[in-house]
Amino acid sequence: MKIKIIILMFSVLALLVVSIPTFAHHGTAAYDTKSDVTVKGTMTEFRFFNPHVQLYFEVKNDKGETEKWQGELTAPNKLSRAGWDKHTLNPGDSITATGYISKNDNHTMWIRKLIGPSGEPLQLFEE
Amino acid sequence: MRRGLRNSISGIIAILLLSSVLHAQTPAPPPAQPPAPRNAAAKPESGPAPAHDLTGVWMMRNPPGSQRVFTNFTFTKDLPELTPWAEAKYKEAKASNGGEFTLKTTNDPVLTRCDPPGVPRVYFHPYPFEFVHTPKYTLLLYEYDHTVRRIYTDGRALPSDPDPLWMGTSVGHWEGDATLVVDTVGFNDKTWLDRLGHPHSTQLHVTEKFRRVNKDHLELDIIMDDPKALVKPWTTTFYYELRPKWELGEISCSGDYLDFNNFEK
Repeated sequence: MKIKIIILMFSVLALLVVSIPTFAHHGTAAYDTKSDVTVKGTMTEFRFFNPHVQLYFEVKNDKGETEKWQGELTAPNKLSRAGWDKHTLNPGDSITATGYISKNDNHTMWIRKLIGPSGEPLQLFEE
Repeated sequence: MRRGLRNSISGIIAILLLSSVLHAQTPAPPPAQPPAPRNAAAKPESGPAPAHDLTGVWMMRNPPGSQRVFTNFTFTKDLPELTPWAEAKYKEAKASNGGEFTLKTTNDPVLTRCDPPGVPRVYFHPYPFEFVHTPKYTLLLYEYDHTVRRIYTDGRALPSDPDPLWMGTSVGHWEGDATLVVDTVGFNDKTWLDRLGHPHSTQLHVTEKFRRVNKDHLELDIIMDDPKALVKPWTTTFYYELRPKWELGEISCSGDYLDFNNFEK
């Protein structure tokens, strides 16, 4: 089992390294990669198409105000291979998103971890 | 795989994903890396390769035993020696700066015009490809941009005076049971060899040796031979894994990536 994990990690590392170009147009410079931010929100729109799958959701901040957020994932063909389709998330779904915040817009996130409406993390990459 | 294990692996992978993305995004010279040994180990349990059969969907992976590829922008750590003709052309190339670019800062024909990538640049796109064999030719279907190459396996010779094409004209033959050798000539000179902008001429001859080392693993030796551009042939090896459950999806360069106003911020 340990070997399987190591192999899986190696394989995924490979995939992830060569997956970089899907973010190429943004570049990491557009995001603050020093620390993760986690927010809980409610989905308003789910765009499952190229070039990037995008999530639109609303987050209640500490003051009780509703903030409009946008989250980026990879390409839909890769997410399909991770078990996603255009119905994986729907308006009204509760999500918890963790990721890097855009330097240009502090309500845009490059999502690195996502907990879906079932409370389970969703796989964000093909394997 | 059990749920709990899958979740913790997902967590680990999410962290690894980010660290590898960060490393590769930095436009720094590639770190030193020893060449991957030919018969590198670390091939997990797999069956024998079927004879004369590469059927299936394949996805790039790291060389065995390494944590990451040195870069996905060019083929080797050491850059090739160029002829004066090629050196002059290379100076004109404004590549994509490791991913940090806008349409104004690059003249990469793939990024700015969705030109076909050519061979072997097509292998830099991080998407799978699929082999489909027919009796007279083998099709190489790349998920990227509906790219199809037809490799004639009916014994015909390479054309001696080919028309210049984006992806060239290919013939292939088997060496032994599990190696498909593909020769491609007849390229136009409008494509880059890699993502850094190394040029090639219409004299380019690409040899690809697809070596299926076992049922699940494919090694691809690439030899770029172009006396007008390269002082000597430029070679590398890429590594692929079979993905029995995958199907090719769709990526359309012009449809989905050309309108950068959508996501250039």
